Amino acid sequence: MSDATKSSKTFDVGDLIPGGAYIHRLSALMTLLLLVVGFALSSQAFFSINNGLTILLQTSVIGLLGIGMTMVIITGGIDLSVGSVLALSGVVSALAVKAGLPVVPAMGCGVLAGAACGAFNGLVITRLRIPPFVATLGMMLIARGLALQITGAVPISGLGNAFGILGNGALFRMVEMRPNGFPKVIFPGIPYPAILLLIVAIAGAYLLHRRQIGRHIIATGSNEEASRLSGVRVDRTKLYAYTISGALAGLAGNVLMSRLVTAQPSEGVMYELDAIAAAVIGGASLSGGVGTISGTMIGAFIIGILRNGLNMSGVSAFIQQIVIGLVVIGAVWIDQIRNRP
Amino acid sequence: MSQTPLVAMIDIEKHFGGIRAVDHVSVDLHEGEVVGLLGHNGAGKSCLMRILSGAMAPSGGEIRIKGEAVHFSEPNDARDMGVETIYQTLALADHLDAPANLFLGRELKTRFGNLDDKAMLKAAREVLARLNPNFKNLHDPVSSLSGGQRQVIAIARAIYFDTKVLIMDEPTAALGPSETAMVAGLIKELRSAGIGIFLVSHDIHDVFDLCDRVVVMNKGRLVGSHHIDEVSKDDVLSLIVKGELPADWSARNLKAAQ
Repeated sequence: MSDATKSSKTFDVGDLIPGGAYIHRLSALMTLLLLVVGFALSSQAFFSINNGLTILLQTSVIGLLGIGMTMVIITGGIDLSVGSVLALSGVVSALAVKAGLPVVPAMGCGVLAGAACGAFNGLVITRLRIPPFVATLGMMLIARGLALQITGAVPISGLGNAFGILGNGALFRMVEMRPNGFPKVIFPGIPYPAILLLIVAIAGAYLLHRRQIGRHIIATGSNEEASRLSGVRVDRTKLYAYTISGALAGLAGNVLMSRLVTAQPSEGVMYELDAIAAAVIGGASLSGGVGTISGTMIGAFIIGILRNGLNMSGVSAFIQQIVIGLVVIGAVWIDQIRNRP
Repeated sequence: MSQTPLVAMIDIEKHFGGIRAVDHVSVDLHEGEVVGLLGHNGAGKSCLMRILSGAMAPSGGEIRIKGEAVHFSEPNDARDMGVETIYQTLALADHLDAPANLFLGRELKTRFGNLDDKAMLKAAREVLARLNPNFKNLHDPVSSLSGGQRQVIAIARAIYFDTKVLIMDEPTAALGPSETAMVAGLIKELRSAGIGIFLVSHDIHDVFDLCDRVVVMNKGRLVGSHHIDEVSKDDVLSLIVKGELPADWSARNLKAAQ
């Protein structure tokens, strides 16, 4: 008898926790759907294939940054440098193209530059024992300064059509030539950035849940000292997370600059906050140990759709900031309710 | 006891700035022996055990496992030599479930290098059932488990792998009476399997019930190492508090023989 009551009690307690996480994800998803329905009712143009693709395109940059940010936040850290690293990487890619490299290796250079910035963050945090907030704040200034210095604060343009393919191209694009000689777009296609985002998101989720390094990332954020005593190489794990975040910032930078076919050294200011907001709305906890890629994707789309929908409804950019700020606070508030005993 | 000891810690020193936390301490541990390590808070016993578990580097001295000098620069090195530790804090990652914690740092992997959650769950189910048959909720994060269940995971983690030396730091502090009895039974079982155990404890009764030998530290120094038959509880208390035996002390078992 006592055994039966005991096991049923522990069963209940155990059932609540994953249920809570599930509910958070579900509430984020519901918010997303509500936003879509709301904006669709308020604006005719919102609910169209073209606008859907625009949202995909706009969200892919925040999404890519958000995936790296999620890894870092799960370790219990933060990466404030991604916006600046994005700009530096894009500039590096553009300079490599200007130096005569073909587009693909040039973009590889940009991603590598991002990874190097991330690795620098990781080394400063683990070797010099500087808190992540300060270390990545430093990198935010360093990367921005570098990007502005090596370009002389002048945008690099004239990069050629090939540079624009990643950001502007699309898969399954169908164009029909009409008899009058003008093309007619039947289906605009799935933009490459969206496909890239999908691939990176799946790879990120796989890394986090199926690989040892992912488990160590969660363990490190959950209890760093315990992980160290259990044989997890905590410093290496953190280095890995920050390097991924830097590399994905580099990738996002290439996508963005490719879309503009111009490398803007002043691009990406405050993007880190969007990425953090996406992760937090998606249920990542800034105290570490909690967070999912799928949640962050939902968060990124909530921000993307909010921006797009408010734009379509003619709401000013200033009001948009207020709304997104409130959404972030609301999301964390829901998270607090979930964790309240 | 003429054979090579399983563990020999020789002339271990650890200082933090000017403070000597461990001051030229030598202890050894044989196979199938339970050694109780007693002392006040801050006497240096935890520090000494952290050195043996690889969590802390000694300032001086030498550690030998089965006569072979070893150097532990991180906990993995100690675990590779079969030195396992149950920490007082349990050292569990709260957001992970029981199998993930059990295999933390040495996860089982499939051929492709993915985590083999199925194998880990199966192994965890077996070893946990051995320690606590009521342990069913293996998929819950350990933060939602009871203190006893958390302790069971920490113990299971230390005995599941090829353990030769086990360090138990206050293993019964968070446990109720029945679970304490379980731990006591386990210690006896492990001892008969030839595992050497260091039992760090505040509870002098536990030590007298379970240990073969008692080692007492006071202010970083080793003040006594006695076979449990030689000393009474009062003698050990005197060692803990004053750092020396009562003035009129003579080995108890010899006295009884006279």
